[in-house]
Amino acid sequence: MEEKKAKVFVVDDDESVRDSLRSLIRSAGLSVETFASAQQFLASAHSHEPSCLVLDVRLPGLNGLDLQRRLAETRIDTPIVFITGHGDIPMSVRAMKAGAVEFLTKPFRDEDLLDAIQQAVERDRVARRQQSQLADVRGRYESLTPREREVMALVVSGLLNKQIAAQLGVSEVTIKVHRGQVMQKMRAASLADLVRMSEKLGVARLQNRSR
Amino acid sequence: MKQNRRHKFWLSALQCLVGSTALALLTFVCFRFHVNSTTVALLYLIVIVLVSLKSTLASSAAVSIIAYLCLDYFFTAPLFTLGMNQILDFVAPIAYLATAFVITRLMAKVRKSMEDQRRAEETLRRSQAELAHVTRVMTMGELAASIAHEINQPLSAIVNNGSACLRWLAGDSPNLDEAREAARRIVRDGNRAGDVMTRIRAFLRKADTGKTQLDINQIIEEVLILTQDEAVGRGVAVRLDLAEDIPPVLGDRVQLQQVILNLVMNGVEAMASVTNRPREVRISSRQHESDKVLIAVQDSGVGIDEQSLEKIFDAFYTTKQQGMGMGLAISRSIIEDHGGQLWGVSNNGSGATFQFTLLQYR
Repeated sequence: MEEKKAKVFVVDDDESVRDSLRSLIRSAGLSVETFASAQQFLASAHSHEPSCLVLDVRLPGLNGLDLQRRLAETRIDTPIVFITGHGDIPMSVRAMKAGAVEFLTKPFRDEDLLDAIQQAVERDRVARRQQSQLADVRGRYESLTPREREVMALVVSGLLNKQIAAQLGVSEVTIKVHRGQVMQKMRAASLADLVRMSEKLGVARLQNRSR
Repeated sequence: MKQNRRHKFWLSALQCLVGSTALALLTFVCFRFHVNSTTVALLYLIVIVLVSLKSTLASSAAVSIIAYLCLDYFFTAPLFTLGMNQILDFVAPIAYLATAFVITRLMAKVRKSMEDQRRAEETLRRSQAELAHVTRVMTMGELAASIAHEINQPLSAIVNNGSACLRWLAGDSPNLDEAREAARRIVRDGNRAGDVMTRIRAFLRKADTGKTQLDINQIIEEVLILTQDEAVGRGVAVRLDLAEDIPPVLGDRVQLQQVILNLVMNGVEAMASVTNRPREVRISSRQHESDKVLIAVQDSGVGIDEQSLEKIFDAFYTTKQQGMGMGLAISRSIIEDHGGQLWGVSNNGSGATFQFTLLQYR
């Protein structure tokens, strides 16, 4: 995962600016793809490597802030670094509130842009890692039987085996067996580990609702 | 004031002298050829009418009296005496004075109303010019940001390319090819910024007011530089469709820039509420008939209904919240002053097209 080369998407309607950004970003060892408009970017296939979007605010047709909103609606959370010719404060506030990594005014220092890109890529990398971990844990949780899920919810809520047995109306030995299965299937090293996983999955909440 | 009065006095005296000379000549000729008194009286009346058309009441009254005296002395019996002996002696002075009075009064009225009209036209022209200047200054203010943007784009590209170039050169194994490409782009973008400056300077050039030979395509491109950023900022694409082999036109550069600027900005603003189709302004130029050039600015905005198509050219008629309603009125007067026409039509699909003709330079 860490080995995957990050990809930077650049959307700017000005050809000179596009060319210069491509060269600058490539000189930092990142791969670049450029687009002249928001529509062009939306039409292109999205990458599965960690990425970042360098986005001009002023674009013909759909502008940068519109694209940011459009991406958020379609649950594409590629981190965005905004660049603009004359950014005003309300505009930058809006962009940052909507989750932009940085808002740079042209012309900017190369370090500022490259730092922002690194930060954005890192953010995406972490987000992707978390997402894949979550998918992983969810997959393991799916493999539990309904009974095991019930037991897991009660275990992480802090009840002793005896209490769980009483609540479910079965013997303590049965609970022990279920509990062992849960720990094994969820690949939990300890009870604390299991609690963390259940937090990620929101197991307790689910169970409470069903109770 | 005093000088004015004295001037008036001498003018009256001169008119009086001219009238009297005419009378003297007439008298001499008529006396020599024994023309009868009634005819002479009529001829005198003609002189009085002519004098009255051009002069003040005082001088035409004086001429009337002289005419009467001449008539009485030289033509009505008994000759060479003054006195009220015949009917003509009574009628002539009354007729002469009445004629002088009525005609000078009428002429004064006519002259006054002509003067008023001239003054009104003058005022109108001046205020139009002032308003034209005001709107131009206002638009210039709005567009200053645009100019900054046009320079800022290549400038930031240069900065990026410079940084990239240094980075490609740094390290143990510098990438010379990449560095060279970046340096080449610096030159290209620097030249582009220079071009922008040249065109803006051409746009703002004040020296050549008055009508000269102009390349209308060049003017359209200069205007585009100023409107591009504003248009992009509003999500509008401005496209050019200019005929290559278009003849030069006769016109005032600054005024024509203003007309095109006005039409383009109107087009851009007309599309503010458009969301379901591309926002596009298309500027085209082409030869029209045999001796004209036609420039059209087409938008895909909200359009204009048939009733408003003529009204929009009236002064102070506006559909914009912050409009002065002067843009199209001034534009039309500028184009008409150039011997062309400016009119608007609704597009078949959506939006409107404003077009104007200009005379070919020859």
